[in-house]
Amino acid sequence: MGAILFNAFSFLQKQLKEKNIPCTNARISFSKGQRVRDVLMKMGIRDKDIEGVFVNGKIASTNTLLSDGDRVAAFPPGTPGPYRLLLGMVKNTPDTSGKKPNAG
Amino acid sequence: MSRILRINTKEKTHSFETPSPDIRALGGRALTSKLILNEVPASCHPLSRLNKLIFAPGLLSGTPAANSGRLSVGAKSPLTGGIKESNTGGLVSQKLARLGIKALVLEDKPEEDAFSIIVIKKDSVEVLPADEYRGVTNGDMITRLWERFGKRVGVASIGPAGEQRLTAACINFADPKGHPGRAAGRGGLGAVMGAKKIKAIVVDDGGAERIPLHDPEAFKAANKKWTELLTSHPVSGQGLPAYGTAVLVNIINEAGALPTKNFRSGRFDYAQDISGETMAANIEKRGGVISEGCHPGCVIRCSQVYNDKDNNYLTSGFEYETIWAFGAHCLIKDLDDIARMDRLCDDFGLDTIETGVTIGVAMEGGLIPWGDSKAAIELLKKVGAGDPMGKIIGNGAAFMGQAMGVDRVPVVKRQAFPAYDPRAVKAVGVTYATTPMGADHTAGYGVCQNILHVGGTIDPLKKEGNVEISKDLQIATAAIDAAGLCLFVAFPVLDHAEGLQLIVDMLNAQYGLSLTTNDVVQLGISILKDEHEFNRLAGFTAKDDRLPDMFKEVFPPHNTVWDFTDEEIAKAKAF
Repeated sequence: MGAILFNAFSFLQKQLKEKNIPCTNARISFSKGQRVRDVLMKMGIRDKDIEGVFVNGKIASTNTLLSDGDRVAAFPPGTPGPYRLLLGMVKNTPDTSGKKPNAG
Repeated sequence: MSRILRINTKEKTHSFETPSPDIRALGGRALTSKLILNEVPASCHPLSRLNKLIFAPGLLSGTPAANSGRLSVGAKSPLTGGIKESNTGGLVSQKLARLGIKALVLEDKPEEDAFSIIVIKKDSVEVLPADEYRGVTNGDMITRLWERFGKRVGVASIGPAGEQRLTAACINFADPKGHPGRAAGRGGLGAVMGAKKIKAIVVDDGGAERIPLHDPEAFKAANKKWTELLTSHPVSGQGLPAYGTAVLVNIINEAGALPTKNFRSGRFDYAQDISGETMAANIEKRGGVISEGCHPGCVIRCSQVYNDKDNNYLTSGFEYETIWAFGAHCLIKDLDDIARMDRLCDDFGLDTIETGVTIGVAMEGGLIPWGDSKAAIELLKKVGAGDPMGKIIGNGAAFMGQAMGVDRVPVVKRQAFPAYDPRAVKAVGVTYATTPMGADHTAGYGVCQNILHVGGTIDPLKKEGNVEISKDLQIATAAIDAAGLCLFVAFPVLDHAEGLQLIVDMLNAQYGLSLTTNDVVQLGISILKDEHEFNRLAGFTAKDDRLPDMFKEVFPPHNTVWDFTDEEIAKAKAF
């Protein structure tokens, strides 16, 4: 059992707000062994709805195992910025490899 | 064939000339930078008669090609002392192109103090007395010039900052609705225009023919695909129209790269309050315009009109960089007050990045408290009043840093950093250090992935691969600037192999050429070589390609530092 700090951005934030699902600096509980994808699924967000997720400020897989206090953010396709490539955002599908970014 | 229009601002005379063979094929940034290298003595004072102010439409400007209405404005920069290319939307680029004007070159400077305006029409060029407009803001300038010369004429003007020849002064351009939200923002080009005593330039293309296309059918076919590419991509087709560039506030904050309190950390506690999502929600609630283009023929439409709580116009073209500079950088969390400062900058003719960073440096020095938006607004108003303090603000971050006696001054070549911390997005830091422009994010914005072999994922927190990516980005950006295309076309071009080829197809169909994508890359390289050569002649050396010491400090949340050696940095300039 633990909790993450969760944010959704762009179209995703709007969709979740319309459903009254907390999505700006929201504290979300999770059970031991749950992954990013599990928390997103509970909100009705599937892998295909997102372009990427940040875990603790780094682009990560939706398969990442959650730890207490993790900071998680999801964003949908269509997010601009010169650094899509640099930040690792440019992919046709979200990373599902399960690799957690280095702590930082 | 299109011609070069030269105007002598001292004699109030003009002449047209046929471009020489070596510059005939150039446009946009390629042409402004080549002309500056060829014609402006690198050692000259930027406000002297020897400097030239050059406006050049991109190669595709004036054609039906989607998102091709961008203008390159160049001169020796009064801010950096080096070459400057500043890129803008608005109406002037397409109208100059349709009038067959490849470049407009303002030369010399008057001895007397009186201002003039330049009026360019199909069959006439006039330099008219304009002292009646002295002190008029850019917003009012457009209103008055549209009343006098007709709605929707192209207008480029300077505000009080340009008139005072301050080095953060920009040149503002009327957008299609007549707001001054478009600017050749960076590098103090408004001061060069002010030194030449030109208050405004009016461009009316009434009666002009369409731009001749060598192969209209091939052009039409390529442009159809090009438009589809731009409108079907999720960034240019959905994200940018819905949230503008401001959607980056949350993203860059989440990445830990949003410079906060003068680059002390990468996260701002109130990022949500100043985010693109909040901006869009306010527009929906209050009125305003969610999505509009900065020039006719734009299909991305990332600009917007932002109104206050009473639904009165506050500003347009409310960009991520501006929101960051007056927001997280200064610890200001009131989005409406940030919009008010954006509006003041548009009206006074100030670069919003330079000015926002300057306000933060003033806070660093204790002139006003951190986060005090009302005090920041009052400070900014001093620029319009011609107050001596206004002159310190209007001369930018480096000048303010000296005035306040502080050592945390985020500039390269005296130009203020934009909204990405170089310790958390290292390739951007390499671009800040090495672009001939001074700290400039747009200099390394576009990516031509397949051609430039920029593949895979680069870790933004580590050094590996980031020098190479910065170099490739700078090459690609220079080429896009020469074509007259909006930089945001880079998103679909990045993700689709055919993107760059379509640009080449349109250029070939317009001019009857047989360019390849490699030629475009070579064009990008040649532009950078010209610009670096000018800076070398102006006295720049490798020591000017360093970031300030403050970036050696550990930067939370990722706790990284700026750790490139001079030798590593130099590789980004080895072509």
